[in-house]
Amino acid sequence: MGLRKTPAALVAVSAAAALAIAGCSSSSSSPAAASSTAGSSSSAPAQLVVWRLGASVASEVTWMNGIITQFHKDYPQYAKTNVKVVWIPWTDVTSDWTTAEAGGKNAPDITELGNTETPTEAAAGALADITSDVNSWSNKPGLIAGELANDSQNSKYYAVPFFGGVRGIWYRTDQFKAAGISSPPTTWAQLVSDAQALQKKYPGTFGIGAPSNDTDAVASFIWGAGGQIATESGGKWTADLTSAASEAGIKFYVDLYSKYHVSPSKYVGETELGNVGATSGGVNEDFFLGKADMYIDGPWATGNFTGTIADKANLASFPIPGENGGDSAPVFAGGSDLGIWSTTKYPAADWDLIQVMDNPANSTTFASALGFFPPYTAQLSNQSYSTPIMSGFAKAAANTQISPLNAKNWSTADSTDYVIPDLVKALMQGAPFQSTVTKYNTMLTNVLNTGQES
Amino acid sequence: MVRTITGRPGNTNSPAGHHEPPAASLKLRVALFIRRHHLAPYFMLVPSIIAVGIMVVYPAVQILAHSFQNYGLLQVVGRQPITWVGFSNYSLILHDPEFWSSLRISLIFAAVVVPLTLITGTLVGLLLNRLGRKMSAFVSGAAMLAWATPAVTASVIFYWLANPDGGVVDWTLANMPHWLGGGAHWAGYSWTNSTLPAYTLLTVLLIWQSFPFIAVSVLAGLKTVPAELHESARVDGANSWRIFWRITFPLLKPIYLVLLLLSIIWDFGAFTQVYILIGPGNTDEYNLGMYEYQRAFTTPPSFSIASAAAFVLTLVLLIITVGYVRSSVRQGAIK
Repeated sequence: MGLRKTPAALVAVSAAAALAIAGCSSSSSSPAAASSTAGSSSSAPAQLVVWRLGASVASEVTWMNGIITQFHKDYPQYAKTNVKVVWIPWTDVTSDWTTAEAGGKNAPDITELGNTETPTEAAAGALADITSDVNSWSNKPGLIAGELANDSQNSKYYAVPFFGGVRGIWYRTDQFKAAGISSPPTTWAQLVSDAQALQKKYPGTFGIGAPSNDTDAVASFIWGAGGQIATESGGKWTADLTSAASEAGIKFYVDLYSKYHVSPSKYVGETELGNVGATSGGVNEDFFLGKADMYIDGPWATGNFTGTIADKANLASFPIPGENGGDSAPVFAGGSDLGIWSTTKYPAADWDLIQVMDNPANSTTFASALGFFPPYTAQLSNQSYSTPIMSGFAKAAANTQISPLNAKNWSTADSTDYVIPDLVKALMQGAPFQSTVTKYNTMLTNVLNTGQES
Repeated sequence: MVRTITGRPGNTNSPAGHHEPPAASLKLRVALFIRRHHLAPYFMLVPSIIAVGIMVVYPAVQILAHSFQNYGLLQVVGRQPITWVGFSNYSLILHDPEFWSSLRISLIFAAVVVPLTLITGTLVGLLLNRLGRKMSAFVSGAAMLAWATPAVTASVIFYWLANPDGGVVDWTLANMPHWLGGGAHWAGYSWTNSTLPAYTLLTVLLIWQSFPFIAVSVLAGLKTVPAELHESARVDGANSWRIFWRITFPLLKPIYLVLLLLSIIWDFGAFTQVYILIGPGNTDEYNLGMYEYQRAFTTPPSFSIASAAAFVLTLVLLIITVGYVRSSVRQGAIK
């Protein structure tokens, strides 16, 4: 899911099952790879089903139609293949995948996946092994290495990166000017003093939203102080929330509410979109209505807001600062991947369609239209992200991290047991700092290793 | 009844009896067997036994079985075999602090809501009994509306009422004078992000939803109490309080027994309202229903752990119910 809050990915899996499935699908996809460029006219499918995530907004539909036209043109053998695009809301996709896996019916041929879900789905055996296709793909060397690495397990590829997205801090240039802030903050101390200045200048607003259930934002503060959420060594995870640096990050985030009072109590227990599972509301809504002065989210945030934006002209972003200046804080590298469903009958045609969707030109057009970043290093640096909104996010994108958010049991830790959200909430509600962090640190180690809290 | 089963029309010479004719049909033999062993009542129970078996017994047995297995998505799909794991699911939840916190919340919540519902319902029932015809119809109609509102709708309405952004509850409290407990600190107050306010809201919601049933049941009971009893008590100088405890309550005791049991079962197992008002993600505010749901339907689904928790919930209710019914029987409230 990566980018947006949802009830989580699917399945925790034993390595044995994953290997068994991987073994089956690799043998079936090898001939597919061989025939993919030569053309497989003998087995042109009548229909390919593509699952795309999110609502079917006009710009996405237009882009997808262009892809289908090009697919039919570039691969004449599929001229009669009907490409059926199904738009799956982010909040439904895990249950729809579960149904597809459990029932084997209405399964897609190709599916988009949030990048934190790809490892889980691949391990669950839901995705076909596309190693040979990826290795012989001419665009492979241009892909952002870290994003591609997230799609591999035991040196096999199960998906390719489609787009990336990062979080930064939204603000309004007119408000900064009015409050006498000349440039975006680059240290935590500045962030707080700017938030306080804005709150003073605009009575009744909040300086910066700090919802307790926003793991991706909290992660940036832990990383921005030089800490880690958890580290892996020899297949064993160790939570690292109790290190001095991690504690500093957690404490700062909690203090935005508890000590500096620049975030209101109603965000305690909420995500950036309000109640857990809600798709709009919370600080997202408050910011675009002009009731919160700064808030942490990605460039896609305007898409979640359903009302009329109070001031569209002055929206801008800056990267989450590091504790003491210097580089901005590392941000969670969100994004989506494209994978082939394990039960597809047409792996060759599927891969050909993915090649059209994900070539440098098309993926860049897509990313630019929707506020994402293309999955290719060259395209990422060639693009000029000069708009006030995108420039801050582009700076943030230079410093990303994904571990441990792609760990096998991460979705259990974050979406069943809510380890970090619960920790932040407890601290915001006044639980003793040291013992509480220690308690949740143990819990996190347990969940990451065994899938169970205790 | 027996006659219609066994008597064969047009064969009055040999009515069904101890000496069957040699050519007795199979139908007749079955009929005789049923009659001889007094099986007819049991046959009439068959449809409801089948229904209860399918709807209640089979799922209950399945839940019990799953609670001793490792039953997750991989087992549903058939990628991994189902294995029996003994008591490990139970040991897991019994060592989970979240389980104990949710059990505690469920118990306290039921202990508060059940008596409050019964008291409110009784008071409204007594009121309805005294009101004139038109007013009584109006009040009971209004109360039934609350009862007829689906749980989801009622929860969403309460969610809006108590919403920190523009909810009417916060607005009213913020605009109330200080000496009435109002004040600006209520503006934007979140009712759902910690346990006490969240369950205060849920208490009001559940009482609002369930008191009409109590009221109407009590009213129905009151109609059966002979008016002369109340009249003579009044003539003897008893006030309303005494009349209720000496006459009304003892006569309505069997009704209260049922109402109390039903209320305990409903409130202890409250889920819909809790799910909508609190939602997933605030594990410190879970009750047992939320805890089970969260185990069963998130990532990865663990139907086994949820089954174990469900079985514990059932066990707690059984202990309460059986203990209560036994003591009632001893006291003679139920015969």
